[in-house]
Amino acid sequence: MSKGYLCIVLHSHLPFVRHPEHENFLEEDWLYEAITETYIPLINAFESLSNDKVGFRITMSLTPTLISMLSDSLLQERYLKHINRLIELAHKEVERTRWQPEFNALANMYLDSFCRSRDTFERYQCNLVQAFKRFQDSGNLEIITCGATHGFFPLMDVCRDSVKAQIKVAVSHYEKAFGRKPQGIWLPECGFQPGHDEILKEAGIRYFFSDAHGVLHGSPRPKYGVFAPVYCKSGVACFGRDLESSKQVWSSIEGYPGDYVYREFYRDIGFDLDFDYIKPYIHPDGIRISTGIKYYRITGSENKQPYNCHWAREKAAEHAGNFLFNREKQVEYLYDFMQKKPLIISPYDAELYGHWWYEGPMWLEFLMRKIYFDQKTIRMVTPSEYLSENPRNQVVTPSASSWGWKGYNEMWLQGTNDWIYRHLHQASFRMTELAKDFSRSSVNGLLQRALNQALRELLLAQSSDWAFIMGTGTHIEYAVRRTKEHLLRFNSLYEQIKSNSVDENWLADIEYKDNIFPDIDYRVHQ
Amino acid sequence: MAILRKIKEKLISLVAGKKKEPKLKKISALPRTKVKEEAGEFKKEVLGTQETTVEKAKFSTPVTVKTAPRILQELPSRYGQNRIVLQVRDPWWLHTYWEITPDTLENLKHKLGSAFQAAKIILRVYDVSSINFDGTNAHRFFDVEINYGANSWYIDTQGPGRSWCVDIGLRLASGEFILIARSNIVHTPLDSPSWITDEEWMIPEDMFARLYGMGFGFGKSSPAKAWQQAMRRALFSGTLSSGGLASMASPVKRVQKERKFWMVVNTELILYGATEPDAKVTVQGNAIKLKPDGTFSLRFALPDGKQVIPVKGTSADSIDTITITPVVNKETK
Repeated sequence: MSKGYLCIVLHSHLPFVRHPEHENFLEEDWLYEAITETYIPLINAFESLSNDKVGFRITMSLTPTLISMLSDSLLQERYLKHINRLIELAHKEVERTRWQPEFNALANMYLDSFCRSRDTFERYQCNLVQAFKRFQDSGNLEIITCGATHGFFPLMDVCRDSVKAQIKVAVSHYEKAFGRKPQGIWLPECGFQPGHDEILKEAGIRYFFSDAHGVLHGSPRPKYGVFAPVYCKSGVACFGRDLESSKQVWSSIEGYPGDYVYREFYRDIGFDLDFDYIKPYIHPDGIRISTGIKYYRITGSENKQPYNCHWAREKAAEHAGNFLFNREKQVEYLYDFMQKKPLIISPYDAELYGHWWYEGPMWLEFLMRKIYFDQKTIRMVTPSEYLSENPRNQVVTPSASSWGWKGYNEMWLQGTNDWIYRHLHQASFRMTELAKDFSRSSVNGLLQRALNQALRELLLAQSSDWAFIMGTGTHIEYAVRRTKEHLLRFNSLYEQIKSNSVDENWLADIEYKDNIFPDIDYRVHQ
Repeated sequence: MAILRKIKEKLISLVAGKKKEPKLKKISALPRTKVKEEAGEFKKEVLGTQETTVEKAKFSTPVTVKTAPRILQELPSRYGQNRIVLQVRDPWWLHTYWEITPDTLENLKHKLGSAFQAAKIILRVYDVSSINFDGTNAHRFFDVEINYGANSWYIDTQGPGRSWCVDIGLRLASGEFILIARSNIVHTPLDSPSWITDEEWMIPEDMFARLYGMGFGFGKSSPAKAWQQAMRRALFSGTLSSGGLASMASPVKRVQKERKFWMVVNTELILYGATEPDAKVTVQGNAIKLKPDGTFSLRFALPDGKQVIPVKGTSADSIDTITITPVVNKETK
């Protein structure tokens, strides 16, 4: 019999970046890179586990913005173009490196892997949401939702109607994509504020996650620390993160991804090779960008050595074994100590796997296999399964917290980004005013379209990603522009609606550009 | 409680000692890709640092971005109403922003006459924990002098686990306070475990201290470490000082300036030629594709050593054959 549970949570998110008005748009690459390096490798790993009949349980959030982009036909077409160009480049690399056997093997590895990506992509009719849905339907994945545009809830607290809208829009979007209701939610950036659980309850959500100190500093004191969930007064469950297992994977210093054998993230032929040669594969304006072909391993010194995929694979297997060993020890110790089966919650950014840590998906697959075949101490669960087996839990109000830098709100509230809240909050108050003014069900036609678009623009402006990028202090132009653009569009819509003078052509144009959430209903913002 | 206090004191002394190790481990620095240098430099002990690094990597953007200089309209600088909004930054700090309409100030100037000049514009910060605040019943308050040019402020409350409300207004020379706007009420979270335990789920203190340490990933041997870290702001704010303005800067910007002169030299070989468009050509035995005009161009990374590169052309009817063999010696000194 098992002595404890392990719950791995992968949070997948990218902000809504879609620019039909431009042929090439640099920031769209965020999506294409994540598809090639994270989402497809994860799907390939799930497929391989399921082909070998290895039972596994993973909890995964897919944010509404990510789902929208993965299901968008324009972005699907553009991804195909993108991967085809990569395949072409990989062919050239196989040729170019003919006299360098170490690099030649790697060029061939990339060629295979890109071709496989294209196959997987086309196998699911270019819509990867279908792939994740398939594994949810087979019982291996529990897909949870997130804020509609990943707005950071603690800093929306002055106008909770916006928190409600973020949650309600997300829930109905989820239902449409997966044909069922979401059981749980990944609060954007793990940002929890006491009271928001009431809104989750109203939306039919049964659980969320918080960082370790959210539960540990909760009141009253949680008897089992983070090793059992607690119920908020609303009855919604809160699962606290275990930092020991987190650190092993997250940390590039103490954790696995920093191993010298693993692939170096920052060395890319997009920067390394001769300009004329690489020009067709970087930005049309000649700006060097990452291509995804990276030939070096971390090495541990400035003089980078070529990557060896066989060594890396062995290391990933070894690290999976190490992770499992540590979890077994942890669970055994806690089981004796708590007199109850502990639950270890290990959440990660999905994009850590593959994009940041190239060998991550491989590691995860090894781990699933080892858990299934090699031991009996630990059982993998999803939060819903845990709750149905362990319905009795302590009632604790978790403390306000996030998993961001310093554990609270500062990443999104500092000198570089605090100016946005004056405008965001004003827009939230105005949206509530509009929703109240036009609450009657008879609103239709142009007015209804304008009101719905106003809510879309507000939601898009609220993405925590913009404040995050401003907070990092580098390359902030795009984030600033997006924040201003959506707020300006919102403000114009507000003025036009109030003065009953909606400009239909302009509205049609922004509906075409910001086409997320086609079924949105502005009335949720109250 | 006594156990906790002891642990806390011990840990504080430990932490104070430990803080002296200044070395940050640097992941590695590759000069060419600027992205790298910015991402690597974190203090590892601050919570959420790795999460920030990884999340940042999702938004890789090249160093120079030429965006069409489309001029965006600016957001309004004011919305025309008196309002002050209060938000929590962390257990200790609040952020507030406000707007005061020019009319309001004009009216006050008119009403107060010469007293206006002597008056200070201030934020009055009230501790309103567990009460129904009516403007007069706060546990205590303190004033922060601001200036007319400011429209937002960070306030150090030193008070985790409390509730706060802020008034903006004028403090006259007489001490009288004239309210302009009152904020919403916010609650700072605790920076350590709650003192409240429930009877049904009671847990002895030493056991909780142990669980607490494990929850923060410090293993089972050193529960005290977690207490100590949480007691000071170390775990959450990275520094022991209250920091003031400096603490508002993001960690990512604190990039040490180092001399990083560097140079890289690589060599590639371009092999090109032309023949009849319908001829067959092999290079080192591998068939290559000709362009429609019969030309070809190949590019190879050129390592040190000797490369023998037979290029063989065969006419479409397979009767004529020409082989030309460049031999290239490359060495690096």
